[in-house]
Amino acid sequence: MRNDAAFGRMSREMAGRRAAIKAIDWVAFAERVPPNQRAMFNSLKTRSDSVAAKLASLPEKPAPINWTYYRSVVAKAGMVDEFEKKFAELTVPEPVDTQTAKIDAQEQEANKTAAAYLEASKAHIAEYEKALEKFRNMIPFDQMTIEDLNNTFPETKLDKAKHPYWPHKPIADL
Amino acid sequence: MLSRLVLTSNPVLLLLLSLVQASRSFHQSSQSLAPVPPLPEKGGKVRHGIFPEELFTLLYPKTGVTGPYMLGTGLLLYMLSKEIYVINHETFAAASIGAVVIYGIKKFGPSVAAFADKLNEDKVAKAQEVKDQAMASLAQGIEDEKKEQWRVEGRHMLFDAKRNNVAMLLETNYRERLHMVTNEVKKRLDYQVQLQNLHRRMEQEHLVNWVEQSVIKSITPQQEKESIAKCIADLKVLAKNTQARATV
Repeated sequence: MRNDAAFGRMSREMAGRRAAIKAIDWVAFAERVPPNQRAMFNSLKTRSDSVAAKLASLPEKPAPINWTYYRSVVAKAGMVDEFEKKFAELTVPEPVDTQTAKIDAQEQEANKTAAAYLEASKAHIAEYEKALEKFRNMIPFDQMTIEDLNNTFPETKLDKAKHPYWPHKPIADL
Repeated sequence: MLSRLVLTSNPVLLLLLSLVQASRSFHQSSQSLAPVPPLPEKGGKVRHGIFPEELFTLLYPKTGVTGPYMLGTGLLLYMLSKEIYVINHETFAAASIGAVVIYGIKKFGPSVAAFADKLNEDKVAKAQEVKDQAMASLAQGIEDEKKEQWRVEGRHMLFDAKRNNVAMLLETNYRERLHMVTNEVKKRLDYQVQLQNLHRRMEQEHLVNWVEQSVIKSITPQQEKESIAKCIADLKVLAKNTQARATV
């Protein structure tokens, strides 16, 4: 009777405090890890697995104490009752969470750097797209004149001012 | 004089003309169109190496197939008979050179043209390869950037994993504390029980010992002698009985 009341209270406390432990898809996570950070990912995974194993090895509630047996055996008059009362009133303080705030701060920073990286990445893609467009809209080589070639690829233009005599480029570049 | 230069068939000019016939870049219009239409593959058709086909098609409606040939023969005979063209030593020189040149061109013309074409095609192929490689690398670059963006999207998983670890550690700690409390209380109660058992056992043993001692002490020497005498008397009676039984 008194056991159930005590444990009822304790389980209600636990339900209120339980921080959500999300199920993590390690396979999907592993896919997204770039190859140069794989070692860090592996160490994180092993640590997470060991922590999870430790958690799983502990039962959620400790075995209840058989008060009636002790009450029948222990001769001292109020002792068992006193223990039982104190035990029922006892609340174990929950461990204080100091790290989640830091992790959230890290996440915010990571979000910011990720946004900056995404911007840079999009700029790169725009550049590549522009160059690709230029290549796609080029006339085929066998319909080009030398003028067209010089316009499309400025590096092929012969500098007639710097090298006035044929072949208009240093002999070593032929 | 200029006509003589042309008629004595400058070999370089003939070479150029035949090369032109074999290759394909021969602008036919002087208009500037943008974009430039592709150039024709072959030059204008010619008959007998020099005379353009347009002359024949021009004369065909009026004079039929033999028209231009009659024209040519007539012109030639006119020039010879009127001595507009004088036959001299150079005529034979021109004829011999012409024969050799025409033989050379007919024999080696196609291969030289093919060689020149190949040079050009190699240049174009190299440029095309460069262009293809550039396009492929750009496309690959775009793919890689997109992949990196996808990777970045998964960054929340790392923080979820970290928070999970923290939560699990806290939970483990809490459970350990619960277990510790229960175990300690149990230990205390068990200690009391064991203590009681110990007391009880010690009391029992002590009592038993004490009773033994007191019994042994209470056996006075007087009683001892009396019990020994009684035992002897009993033994005598028993002996008599057995003797009696034995004889009987």
